[in-house]
Amino acid sequence: MKDFKILRFIDKFRGLFESFGVDYDTMRKILQLKFILDERRVPTVMQNNTSKKKKEEGNSIIKSLWFYILLGLMLVPFVILEGNYLFKMSILFGILMFMMMTILISDFSSVLLDLRDKDIILSKPVDGKTLSAAKTVHIMIYMFYITFSFTGPALIVSLFRSGFLFFILFLLEIILMDLLIVALTALLYLLILKFFDGEKLKDIINYVQIILTISLSVGYQLIGRLFDFSDIMNIDFVPKWWQYLIPSMWFGGPFELIINKNYDAHIIAFSALALIVPILAIIIYVKLTPTFESNLQKLNNSSGNVKVKDKGLNFYLSEIFCRTKEERTFFRFATNMMKKERNFKLKTYPSLGISMVFPFVFLLSAVKNEGWAHLANSKMYFNIYFVALMIPTILMIIGYSEKYKAAWIYKMLPFTNTRDIFKGTLKALIINLLLPMYIFQSIIFMFIFKGRIAVDLVIVFLNIMLFVVICFKFMKKTLPFSESFDVANQSKGFIVIPLFLVILALGGVHYVATKIDYGRYIFMLILLIANMFAWKKAFNISIENM
Amino acid sequence: MESHNEPIITIRGLEKSFGTKKVLKGIDLDVYRGQIIGYIGPNGAGKSTTVKIMLGLIEQYTGEVKIFGQNISSGNVEYKKRIGYVPEVAEVYDSLTGREYLTFIGELYGLDYDVADEKAKKLMELFNLEKVYDSRISSYSKGMRQKVVIISSLLNNPDILFLDEPLSGMDANSVMVFKEVLAELASQGKTIFYSSHIMEIVEKISSRIILINDGQIVADGSFDELKEKSMEGSLEEIFNELTGFNEHKEIAEEIVSIVQGV
Repeated sequence: MKDFKILRFIDKFRGLFESFGVDYDTMRKILQLKFILDERRVPTVMQNNTSKKKKEEGNSIIKSLWFYILLGLMLVPFVILEGNYLFKMSILFGILMFMMMTILISDFSSVLLDLRDKDIILSKPVDGKTLSAAKTVHIMIYMFYITFSFTGPALIVSLFRSGFLFFILFLLEIILMDLLIVALTALLYLLILKFFDGEKLKDIINYVQIILTISLSVGYQLIGRLFDFSDIMNIDFVPKWWQYLIPSMWFGGPFELIINKNYDAHIIAFSALALIVPILAIIIYVKLTPTFESNLQKLNNSSGNVKVKDKGLNFYLSEIFCRTKEERTFFRFATNMMKKERNFKLKTYPSLGISMVFPFVFLLSAVKNEGWAHLANSKMYFNIYFVALMIPTILMIIGYSEKYKAAWIYKMLPFTNTRDIFKGTLKALIINLLLPMYIFQSIIFMFIFKGRIAVDLVIVFLNIMLFVVICFKFMKKTLPFSESFDVANQSKGFIVIPLFLVILALGGVHYVATKIDYGRYIFMLILLIANMFAWKKAFNISIENM
Repeated sequence: MESHNEPIITIRGLEKSFGTKKVLKGIDLDVYRGQIIGYIGPNGAGKSTTVKIMLGLIEQYTGEVKIFGQNISSGNVEYKKRIGYVPEVAEVYDSLTGREYLTFIGELYGLDYDVADEKAKKLMELFNLEKVYDSRISSYSKGMRQKVVIISSLLNNPDILFLDEPLSGMDANSVMVFKEVLAELASQGKTIFYSSHIMEIVEKISSRIILINDGQIVADGSFDELKEKSMEGSLEEIFNELTGFNEHKEIAEEIVSIVQGV
């Protein structure tokens, strides 16, 4: 098997592992296997290719490191800026910890929670300690790759700007932080597994992923707009008790202590915490891993105490909004899939979050510049069109599924036409995702802009409905949940941009209509007719063309 | 080595609960060399749990499990060197090639790479898989995969083999070969623990049948002994009787009537 440079590096720590009672040679073999597997994460589409593809192997994580280097440029200002070390470094570590935790939970949970390992490897003469050491080292290596790429620019700048001592301190703290995060995450999972079963844990991981993705993208928008960093840097620091609870504060301590020779009690306390807690966490983690592994077994069990449900809201909604029986069936099917499939939620909820926040982001900067009174009388409510941003993405994602192979059922259907399939699915999307969000935003907009915009809100909704059909027409049509997600990441993104022009144009007509007497009402009528026509005609596609 | 009368596996008062649900309610068992044990029971009776406990995959049980005279809860995993395992749902790292996977497993058992490779290659040839030895397992059919898993369980020349539904997806010819292999291994003094739901096969190959129901052993003996006791003709019928299942006709009739009721 292929030998990896990194393994030869780890060989240097052989003694350390053996002192923990780890069977080093076996651990090395498992690691080697893991790296080979990582290189081969091939999109599922290619798997069916029995003909051996020319080796296009390469670790996708390592390939993505340049992205983190680029992202890491945003940390450079913290190193350059003048100011209290405690303050700027704890902000830097705050960002860093948040990033690493996100990455760890979203990308490496699968490694921590892999059950295959247990059956295949632990049934062989390998003890649990060795396997979990291999798992931990495996994750650690990637964490270090990513952290050092992410902090790389800041580290290099700090070497020239703040000197060698700062650089070394920074480097050591990064290592401590990585240890802390890996141990904390694993302990968190342990805690969850202790009280809940595997399905719950998967749900929790899913929601954490979604929340983090949303806060990353939204936070990026908000921070840039609302805060001025130079202000923060100059605030005088007053120690408070709750600061001891914020891990990123600890990491600011040693810089003050060692470089500025600041021997205040709280600085010493922070520094001590920065050193002791990560080491303690890793020791607890090592001690608890056997428990961790045996609790992992729970991942396969679901507690089974599921409430028996009657038909539910879903059923009645489908009765109200769908005309034919088949349409209702697909409405319910799509609703259930959207609610249950984690990958679908992971891919759509962030864009839902963004289109939720975007309309308000621009309002906020308008308030900041011109004040409330001006805003309420302006035409800024057109911002609500940003809701439509999510439509192309979601329409695209609805075609994919983790279990896309189950789409063979479509071939069994006694249908000749896909109309009911698509109509039912799209209606489910609109009722379950789009409508609740639109109503919520409309209510807030009504508060801000008062009742005068009621008609406009109806027009916007009609426009969006029309936009759904237009998007559907112009995008490649795939039966719902019938393709693998891996295909999704290739191509197709480009079509989104011209589609935005369409909604821009529709919004433009709406804007012009507001300038004309009765313009809005005439436009509304036209839209109503257009929608009826579009929803009737657009979906007549023969199932053979799929 | 253990003599014939000394049990190779001893289980005493084995109990295991998942949460509040008690899966094993006190299993006592002695297994000797050269036995092929048909380990049968309804779904959820606790078959896999027993096997997984013996393999050290499930911990925190009560009772005592000794394999090769050694208590397995001691934390020493050496005994696994002499055990082979084919799980019911056999996960494999399928982006590896057959060669890579099998040599890895061989090395985990402590074989040298070359020895493992040589052995795996020859076994692959005998199972008609020599052409795909260097292809990724993800491109294999279900039966081919199953053969790889079986090969992986034999690499270390195990003294005890745990097989859970090992024939699924395999063609009739390979099944014939494999059954012969099992008989041969048993005559060499190896012990085989064979779980399956296909009663015809269990009936034919097992020298001893253990039926477990609701976490307890309800029958233990050779097929002939069981037949005598229960006055039934086939293992399937014995199984039905001992698990208290006798309404299969009524249920079948009801199913058909519901099917037709659409």
